Amino acid sequence: MLLRVRDLSVHTGDTTLVSGVDLRLDRGATLGVVGESGSGKSLTCRSILGILPPGLRNGDGTVVEFDGTDLRGLDERGWREYRGTRIGAVFQDPASYLNPSIGVGAQLAEVLRVRVGLGRRAARDRAVELLADMGLRDPARVYRQYPFELSGGMLQRVLIAVAISAEPDLLIADEATTALDVTVQAEVLDLLADLRDRTGLALLLVSHDLAVVAQVCDEVIVMRDGAVVERGRAGDVLAAPSHPYTRSLIDAHTRYGIEKFRLEEAQRG
Amino acid sequence: MRRVLAGRVGVVSVAVLAVIALLAAFGPLLAPHDPLLQDPRAILAGPSAQHWLGTDNLGRDVLSRLLAGSTLSLVAGVEAVAVGLVLGVVPALLSVHLGRVVEWVSLRVMETFVTLPFLVFAVAMTALLGNGLQQAMLAVGILIAPGFYRVTRAAALPVATAQYVEAAVLAGASPWTVLRRHVWPKVVPAVAVSTASLLGASLVIVSSLTFLGIGITPPTPTWGGMLATDLQYLYQRPFGPFVPAALIVATVGACNGLADALRDGPSRRPARRKVVADVAAST
Amino acid sequence: MAEPLLEVAGLAVALGRGRGRREILHGVDLTVGAGESVGLIGETGSGKSTLARTVVGLHRAARGRIRVAGTEVTSLRGRRLRAFRRSGVVQYVFQDPLRSLDPDLTVGESVGFGIPDAGSRVADALRLVGLDPALASRLPGEVSGGQRQRAAIARAMIAGPRLLICDEPVSALDAATRVQVLDLLVALCSENGIGLLYISHDLGSVAGVTDRLAVLHHGDVVEAGTTEQVVAAPRHPYTRLLIGSAPTVDGGGMSRTERAELRALLSASSSTGGSVPLGKVVP
Repeated sequence: MLLRVRDLSVHTGDTTLVSGVDLRLDRGATLGVVGESGSGKSLTCRSILGILPPGLRNGDGTVVEFDGTDLRGLDERGWREYRGTRIGAVFQDPASYLNPSIGVGAQLAEVLRVRVGLGRRAARDRAVELLADMGLRDPARVYRQYPFELSGGMLQRVLIAVAISAEPDLLIADEATTALDVTVQAEVLDLLADLRDRTGLALLLVSHDLAVVAQVCDEVIVMRDGAVVERGRAGDVLAAPSHPYTRSLIDAHTRYGIEKFRLEEAQRG
Repeated sequence: MRRVLAGRVGVVSVAVLAVIALLAAFGPLLAPHDPLLQDPRAILAGPSAQHWLGTDNLGRDVLSRLLAGSTLSLVAGVEAVAVGLVLGVVPALLSVHLGRVVEWVSLRVMETFVTLPFLVFAVAMTALLGNGLQQAMLAVGILIAPGFYRVTRAAALPVATAQYVEAAVLAGASPWTVLRRHVWPKVVPAVAVSTASLLGASLVIVSSLTFLGIGITPPTPTWGGMLATDLQYLYQRPFGPFVPAALIVATVGACNGLADALRDGPSRRPARRKVVADVAAST
Repeated sequence: MAEPLLEVAGLAVALGRGRGRREILHGVDLTVGAGESVGLIGETGSGKSTLARTVVGLHRAARGRIRVAGTEVTSLRGRRLRAFRRSGVVQYVFQDPLRSLDPDLTVGESVGFGIPDAGSRVADALRLVGLDPALASRLPGEVSGGQRQRAAIARAMIAGPRLLICDEPVSALDAATRVQVLDLLVALCSENGIGLLYISHDLGSVAGVTDRLAVLHHGDVVEAGTTEQVVAAPRHPYTRLLIGSAPTVDGGGMSRTERAELRALLSASSSTGGSVPLGKVVP
């Protein structure tokens, strides 16, 4: 068991924003968290990473264990060994996580020097290698480019390279493909799945779109209004959703998505 | 108005301005003596029952001159602001809506105004057009116009490219309708704030111009002109410059206070809701 | 066959000025019949929004023509363009109602804009889109995202359109709200015989709305046909990738390897300047 979250809750003042969230994630496994804005999925992620916004706190009963260590007991020095090192993270808006006036390669190389302890030369070589691994064509050129010169999909790949540069055991992707075009989204999701298959990385994939999560994940939990309303194996949840909310999400796809035509075709034989 | 009065600064500023406005309206009528009447027996006299604030170097009653001069001093300032409003706000709105040529030309003209030295320009204008209040105020108005231009343009620019304006255009709205319905309401608060603060500034300029003898010529009394004369007789009448200076400072301070109150008041949207709710409750 | 409601023929549009000028659309053909619903699918940079904006006269056509309900709109300018827009034949629904509704105008004011005797008609329009007429007095910031987009649709419907152009009308909405707004659009169009041009980057949410689809890629329609043909049996490599990339809940879809092969094919074609011809699949 790589990650175990028990009874996670988030409060602000007297208000409870998230309550009773349980998660388990094995090495090399993929867990999807689905919910709309305000469902508490992002606060759950941030709790695991220990980066709740100011004014918010976890409840006393909240347990977050990573590889046997209680993350909630860590101080800032202790977190350094986990956050960004053994647990990587990517978020929705890649451009805001990069310095606009420094080349993306230099930023990646700096992470490698600080986190992995590589020398200047080695960090540079490794950075180009990582960019190539991310499926970026002409990585040496991308290395020299500035964030504004890259498309959203390319930037997100650079950020994934940053997130996995220290070879983490767990990667948290919070709406990491939401702002991307459909084909680019599929490309980034494929990249994440490839990384998982190749390196044994565990993925925690968070999205508002059930179908996105279902494409990559073995297990799915559905959140709404700060609580888990459904959980199960991805196939089971899609085939036989138990909660009306999950059903409405699937219904949206079968009525207006391309599934509509596939279903009609299947019915005709 | 309602949100201006919500703060203490706003209340004090409005009160001071109200008093000063009354002075401007009725001051000349309240004057106990003829402001131009010279009394050779009482030159540079101190306060007395007959002359509450004493007399000046020609034996004229200071209180009467202050009251009589208030109209001219204030009207001059207001006039300058009005000129500045027209010359600043209108080109700013046009620069946003009439395309790149108007935009380029108006920007260059405004930049030129900004680089002109204030007093030198005013002196030059009166030399050119003759020394009179109207000419001087025209000069001051031109000089403060870039302030209005900048503020208006900054407020109008994001609106001009906003999608709701595009939606209005697609509904067949004319540029005039767009201006009136979408741009103007966004521009008014910003312009109101700078009107108040530039009114203060223009009063200072009017005072400094009359101090230099530009715009209003003796013996017509004005606050700035009195301040200038009183300063010459500081030794004989040390408290002399204090009263006109206090009036100028109070007016300018109140204008700036009003500007602050306008700017810092709660934003327009909740205020608007509240007004709607109040109206609903009262009917 | 009667003349289609919207007929776009050989449309080329170039945007930008001077050196930055680029041709965005290279000769696009598209028709929407009366009461028909046509999807225009394309990703960032495909030119889909440019096409829609050119149809309503927000951009000029470099070549080709656009006819709406028998009127040649490419040549309309100034007063005649405004008159055509005011006729309400074409209405446009933007992606984000927070941006397409003026934040300082109430829902009722926005919906009733430019409408004579607006009061009762606004209430009718709001009821038509499933909103409580009482919401007319609220500001856009005070209603939910779904209600805002309904209000934007009401603004379009009150004009009595024959053609409705929707640019990503549900992308800014939550999944549950999305379905309701799509239901509303489909119902309004079919009940009132309105032609719908539905623009989106995401096939996954459009397929169920449209009768026919056109797939736009780098300024060209690469595939067009009935929605069923295009979705169930896509032929152009780009369409196949697009459909194979759409996340689905039925477990069907393309394998990672298949997608990788299509990407390689498409990038080989674009990096050699199209020397690997992919052709077009257009009836």
